[in-house]
Amino acid sequence: MIKEFIRRRSIHFCLVCTGGCNGCDIEVAALLSQRYDLEQYGLYLLNNPRECDALLVTGTVARQWQEKLVELYNKVPEPKAVVAIGACALSGGIFQQEGEKVGAPVSNHIPVDAEVPGCPPRPAEIASAVLKYVPEALASYRRKI
Amino acid sequence: MSYIPIGPLHPGIKEPLRIKLKTEGERVVDAEVDLGFMYRGAEQIARGKPWQKVAYLSERVCGICSDAHPHTLIEGLERIADCEPPLRALYSRVIMGELNRIHSHLIANAIYFLAIEHETLAIYLLNVREKIMDLLEMISGNRVLYSWNLVGGVRMDFKESHLKKILENLSEVEDQVIRYRKMFKNGPFLGLRARDIGKMRKEDAIDVRAVGPVARGSGVKFDWRTKHPTYVDYFDFEPVWRKECDNYARIMMRFDETLESIKIIRRAVNELPSGPIRKDCNIPPGSIDHRYEAPRGELAYIFETANHGIIKDITIRTPTVPNLEACVKHMFKDSPTISDAVAIYQTIDPCMACTERVVILDENNNKEEYRSLFDVSRRRKDTGRKLNR
Repeated sequence: MIKEFIRRRSIHFCLVCTGGCNGCDIEVAALLSQRYDLEQYGLYLLNNPRECDALLVTGTVARQWQEKLVELYNKVPEPKAVVAIGACALSGGIFQQEGEKVGAPVSNHIPVDAEVPGCPPRPAEIASAVLKYVPEALASYRRKI
Repeated sequence: MSYIPIGPLHPGIKEPLRIKLKTEGERVVDAEVDLGFMYRGAEQIARGKPWQKVAYLSERVCGICSDAHPHTLIEGLERIADCEPPLRALYSRVIMGELNRIHSHLIANAIYFLAIEHETLAIYLLNVREKIMDLLEMISGNRVLYSWNLVGGVRMDFKESHLKKILENLSEVEDQVIRYRKMFKNGPFLGLRARDIGKMRKEDAIDVRAVGPVARGSGVKFDWRTKHPTYVDYFDFEPVWRKECDNYARIMMRFDETLESIKIIRRAVNELPSGPIRKDCNIPPGSIDHRYEAPRGELAYIFETANHGIIKDITIRTPTVPNLEACVKHMFKDSPTISDAVAIYQTIDPCMACTERVVILDENNNKEEYRSLFDVSRRRKDTGRKLNR
């Protein structure tokens, strides 16, 4: 009970870039600056899937990631949440065209709890989506199974 | 002798890539890289599309140097069409290009400071960068992807209030960058982590064809802006270069270039001519090899057009390809610790999204391999593998 309460107020997330243009990743990096100051909301960027609560997935799922993304999702301890960021992660964006097959969207591979549209979304939008939906997803995680 | 893998997901590196380090104790003896985690096939999509679509696509090859890519493509198309855009458009391209360069250099240095665990300076630099991002958003409407360049000119015009705001923010940025440059230069701990680590001699840099701040940090005095017509005609541009050849030189290069870019933008804003921002151009069939100095170095667009501005064939050569080779071949050697290896890797300002656009198909085994361009060029001669870009 206390563990759940505390956990919802300190979300450690892992940024997984699965082959986009880097735009979404630098917007997540911009969240570290003093203007947005991620840690005042209890969000921590930590690129270690075994210690994190939420995965932030950006990019079209490139062919090499298609199996690895599922493995990575299984390594995250329960309860866990997934946020897909950007047009590429939601639909493949400009890269989902004739001539090249990418594995987008992310929801084909792993269950997604929240989606942030935009090419790329603004840092404030990413932070508010993580803050609003990840605690809900973590709380309702056990009921799903 | 042991092998230590770093990546594809690692706290020290932000983009997916696997580095295999061969170590003796803590000392790095040899290194290898595995690529292919970001392959999306941008060039394959671009074939047979009109230039208007390819311009949007070329922006999304790399989200950090997202002005340099369409800039190079559009200038190449203008050279095919033999069509000179109005002077105001040329000046506004310079302003956007240099603002983009400043934000790229600041985030590159910030990520280096995160890699050496000096979070204070990293967060300061990210905060300064927000001022530049504000300017980019005010001018073009988006923080990261601008869609600024079009054949024959630019998409939008500056307002008077925009120019005033640019000068205002730039003077704040300049003060702070000078302060952080001094912190990095005089800080004893930062100096110890950066000096004499990741050495690359000038001959080695020329040998692997290193480009951009990596080459200029090793004493190669070359910048494509010295050959760019706008910079030659209207701005007295002199490349900055250093001769320390180590991590310290490469990080200082980016600080110095930021200050240089600020001077160029100031001059462009003060001398901005009035007039139209766009004119009509017809694109005939033709082919070209056009180069431009992206924030990371030389960026080449080699392409062929058909009638009505349709792109027939395109090859993009991005600066991280030779820089990554320089890093693996020369910088990792004799790196004293493994944590220094991660720091060295960050000083070349790698952009994996740029680098990976090649898949090799092995027809005999029906197997796909993911490699960077420099491996392909080497292998193409000795094995008869089919190249599917």
